[in-house]
Amino acid sequence: MASALFEARARAQRAPVSMKIVVAGGFAVGKTTFVGSISEIEPLRTEAEMTVESLGLDHAGPLADAKRGTTVAMDFGRITIDPTMVLYLFGTPGQDRFWFLWDELVRGAVGAVVLVDTRRLDDCFPAVDYFEHLGVPFVVAVNLFDGVATHHPRNVREALSVPANVPVVLCDARRRSHVQETLVLLVEAALRRVNGAA
Amino acid sequence: MTARGPEPRLPRVVRPYVLTGGRTRPTGPTLALDTTIRTTVTDVTAPPRPDTPEAARIVELCHTPTSLAELAGRITIPVGVVRVLVGDLAANGTITVDPPTPPGVATDVALLEKLLDGIRAL
Repeated sequence: MASALFEARARAQRAPVSMKIVVAGGFAVGKTTFVGSISEIEPLRTEAEMTVESLGLDHAGPLADAKRGTTVAMDFGRITIDPTMVLYLFGTPGQDRFWFLWDELVRGAVGAVVLVDTRRLDDCFPAVDYFEHLGVPFVVAVNLFDGVATHHPRNVREALSVPANVPVVLCDARRRSHVQETLVLLVEAALRRVNGAA
Repeated sequence: MTARGPEPRLPRVVRPYVLTGGRTRPTGPTLALDTTIRTTVTDVTAPPRPDTPEAARIVELCHTPTSLAELAGRITIPVGVVRVLVGDLAANGTITVDPPTPPGVATDVALLEKLLDGIRAL
């Protein structure tokens, strides 16, 4: 059984299994706040560079130096589940044109949280499309910026036309309990996917 | 006196890849963002000594096993540069790089259940 293998290996190496959850959404939608509310470390800004490899070119020639200068930042947080498991949270860069980085973040991820600001609903469309297309489990979390629900989740669901198996929740990204519940819903959705129920 | 142009921006002391001698590709194992790196030498004064402050910082931080993404965030240098420095340190035996996370972890029922219980218990 695969999990027994992973756990045996983890014990043998005293190396925890790392799990990954991606936090996506438009610019300034609260991704850093979301990660910071539950991470056991202060969320870090980790820079990745757009490299020649990212562009899918072997030799970019004179372009290489110019491209080297382009850096994008993502948020990084960590939650130690127990000595054998650690969960990493990655907040995607706000600009959705950095797909190359999203691809690396999403590879092997449990799933994604798409944070939504109802005042700029269309900002989240690229993320929703992206995770739907890849078949990655995700939840839509409507960030309550003023702590007040101005939209019912049902209306957001209709506006986004996400399928019934995608949870849509209200979430104040500043509140740890809300963030925790959102992550619970995501992992439950991932489990349903694996078990073939969704 | 001749008017000068705007002062150049000085965001960094050196360009990031100066730290790697211009190399952009690491030697050695593949390093994903969540790959764990750990320092193997206990006597930091014994050779081989890291030859840049950044490499020394990696060795220092990885006495507690640390992921590539976290290293880059803590040292505030881009992930690509850390990859090259980690490759060098692994090649001379100062640190070790854990095997990459197996691709199946995100769809492993037992691991997902454990993660779920862990998040609920936070």
